[in-house]
Amino acid sequence: MDNRITRRTLSALLVSAGMALSLPAYAQNEIKIGYNADQSASGAAELGLSGLYGFQAAIEDLNAQGGVLGRKLVGVVRDDAGAPPKSIQNMNELIDNEKVAAVVGPTNSGNALAWLHIPQQKKVPVISHVATATDITARYAKEPQNYIFRVSMVDREQLALLAAYAVKASKSKNVAIIADTTGYGQAATKDLQEILTLHGIKPVGIEKFGPKDTDMTSQLAKLKAAGADMIITGSLADATAQVLKSMEKMDYYPGLLSTWGSINTPLVNIAGPKLAEKTVFAASTTEDASDRAAALHKRLVAKHPNMPAFVSAAQGYDAVMLIAAAIKQADGTDGPKLQAALENLGKVQGIIKAYDKPFSKEQHEALGVADFHLAQWKDGRVVKLDDPVVKGLTAADLKR
Amino acid sequence: MTAFLQALASGLALGAIYGLIALGFNITYATTKTFNFGQGAFLVPGSLVGVSLLLLAAGKPHFGNLTQAEMTMTAYVLATVASVVVVGAIGIALYYCAIKPFVGAGGLNWVLSTIGFGIIMQNSALAIWGPASIAVPSPLGSEVWRIAGAGIRPQEVLIAVVAVAVMVGLDIVLRKTRFGKALRAVAFNPQAAAIVGINVEMIVIAAFVISSALAGLAGILIAPITTASVFIGLGVALKAFSAAIVGGLTSPRGCMLGGFLLGVVEALVGLWRAEMREITIFLLIIIVLVVRPGGLMGARSVEKI
Repeated sequence: MDNRITRRTLSALLVSAGMALSLPAYAQNEIKIGYNADQSASGAAELGLSGLYGFQAAIEDLNAQGGVLGRKLVGVVRDDAGAPPKSIQNMNELIDNEKVAAVVGPTNSGNALAWLHIPQQKKVPVISHVATATDITARYAKEPQNYIFRVSMVDREQLALLAAYAVKASKSKNVAIIADTTGYGQAATKDLQEILTLHGIKPVGIEKFGPKDTDMTSQLAKLKAAGADMIITGSLADATAQVLKSMEKMDYYPGLLSTWGSINTPLVNIAGPKLAEKTVFAASTTEDASDRAAALHKRLVAKHPNMPAFVSAAQGYDAVMLIAAAIKQADGTDGPKLQAALENLGKVQGIIKAYDKPFSKEQHEALGVADFHLAQWKDGRVVKLDDPVVKGLTAADLKR
Repeated sequence: MTAFLQALASGLALGAIYGLIALGFNITYATTKTFNFGQGAFLVPGSLVGVSLLLLAAGKPHFGNLTQAEMTMTAYVLATVASVVVVGAIGIALYYCAIKPFVGAGGLNWVLSTIGFGIIMQNSALAIWGPASIAVPSPLGSEVWRIAGAGIRPQEVLIAVVAVAVMVGLDIVLRKTRFGKALRAVAFNPQAAAIVGINVEMIVIAAFVISSALAGLAGILIAPITTASVFIGLGVALKAFSAAIVGGLTSPRGCMLGGFLLGVVEALVGLWRAEMREITIFLLIIIVLVVRPGGLMGARSVEKI
C-alpha cells in the first residue's frame, strides 16, 4: 500500500516536473504578437488586410534572421469585422488567452477607442498601424505609462498639412469642406474647422454625404455657388472618387485635397486615371518611395495580387519591427519593460524611414507631419507633389 | 438653374435604379404577399458574377480590375445575361429555403428567413470575392454627356432606359400573356387559380425567379457607377423598398414612379441640405401612407366588415 502510494506520488511528481520543465521551454520558444483589425467588413477593411500582409512579412523576415532573442515570433491574427464589440472580445482573448507580448491594430479608429482601456489596464503595448483618430494615443498620455503607440498618419497632422496647402494655394481664400457622415468624416470636419480658424479662415461651405453615396452634385453645387476654389475632403478612397466623378459631371474643378485614403487603388480604379490626378493627398510612403518600399511592395504583390493599399502594409511592417526592437532592448516580453523600451528605442530600420528614437514619454507618434508629403496620382502611379505651393510651405504654415 | 437641372438628371438616374429593384418587390408581393427582404444582397452576386465572368474571359483571376478595353458592349450584354440567369436561379433556392415553409402560414417568419438568406448569400460572396470593391468601366465609356450644362453619364441613361423597358415589358406580360394572366389569377385568389388548373407553385416560383433576376440585372447595371462589391446592396435596396411603398407595392408602374420620385426628391433636397434628404424621404413615405395607404398607384384596399 505504502509502496503503491509512493510510486504513484513519484510518477505524479515526475509528470508535474516534466510539465514544469517543458512548459516554460515551450513558451520560451516563441513570442506571440497579436493582430486585431478589420479585414473583411467595412470600407477600410482593405487597409486592415494590407496591414496584415506587412505584419506577416515582418515576422517572416525576423524569423529568417533567427527570431527575436533566439525565440520564434508568431503572429496571432484576429478579424474584428469592423465591429467594436468583436474588437473588444478579440483584445481580451489575445491578451488573456494567447498571452501576446504586444498587439498591432486596429483598422477603424472607433474600434480602437472602444478598447483602449483594456491594453492600458493589462499593460500590453499596442501599436496602431492604420487607425488615425487623434485621440487614440492621447487618451492615456497623462498616465504614468501610456501603452498606446502609433505608426500611422494621425488625422490632425495630415489635415494640418492639407489646410496649409489649401490656404496657400487658394487665390480667393474661399476654402470649403466636404466629408462623409461617418465618425471619420465628421471628426475630420471638426479638426479642419479648428485648423482653418488658426489660419484665420472660416470655410465658405461645409457639406456632408452618405458614405455609400455615388452622386454629390447637389452638395458641390452649393460649394460652387459659395465660390470655393479649394475643397478639402474627409472620406475614404471610394467616396473621394465619387466626389471627383460628380465634379466631372458639373465641369467644376476647384483644388481637391484629401487624406491618405486617396493613395488606395480604389480611387484610381473608380475615378479613372485622368480624373484621379485631380486630387492632392497626404501620404507617409509610396511603393516607389525607396528601394526598401519597392522591394516589399514587389514581394507582397507577388503573394497577394489584389493588395490595394501598400501604405498600411508598410506601416504594419514597421510596427512589428519597432516591437521586435523593443523586445530585444527589454530582453523579454514583460509589458511595463516593453513599454519603457518602446519609449527609449534607438535606431530601427523600417520601410517608411530609418527611425531614430521614434517614441518618447511625450511622443507616441512615430510619424508626424514632417514625415508626410503631398502626393498625387500621375499615369496610374502615386508620385510626390512638388509644385511651387509645396515648395513655399514653411514650418510656420503648419498650424495644428 | 444648372444646379437644378443637374439635380434633376442625377435624381432621375438614381431613381431608375430604385425603380428597377422596386419592381422585384412588386412581383412577389402580388403573387404571395411576401417579398425578399434580402433583395439588397441579391445585387451582390448580380454585379460580381457578371464582372468575374468578364475578368475570367479576359484571362485574369476572378477578382481584380477590368480595363476599358475588356468591356465591350457584347461582353457586357453576355455578362448581364449570365448574371440574370445565375441570380434568377438563386431565386429558386430562396423560394424553397426561405419562403415555401412559411407562405400562407400567417405570421412574419418569412421576414426573418429572407433577411437570413440574404445575409448567408452576402457572406458567401465575401468568402469568394473578399471585401475589396471592383471598379467596373461602363461599356458606353466614361465621358459625361452635357444637357444644358447638366452632366449625365451614358451608363445612367442606359439604366433609365433599361428600367423603363423592363417596366413596360413586365406590364405587357402581366396584362397580355397567358403567364401574366395566370400570375394575376394566383395573386387574386390562389385557391381559385388552382381549381381552374393553374400550377400555383410554379407561378410563385416564377415570380421569385423574376424578382431575383431583376435584382441581378440591377446589380450589373449599377456596377459601373457604384463599383461591384459585397457591400453595395443594402442602402440601395432600402430606398427601393421605400420607392415600392410610396408608389404602391401592388403596381409595377407605381414602383417605377416611386423610384423616380424618391431619386429626384433626394437630389433636390440635397441642393438645400444634405442631411435633410433621408428625413424628407421618410416623411414623404409617412404622408403618402396616411393619405393613400396603398401607395400612390396601389390598389385601394376596400375592406368590408
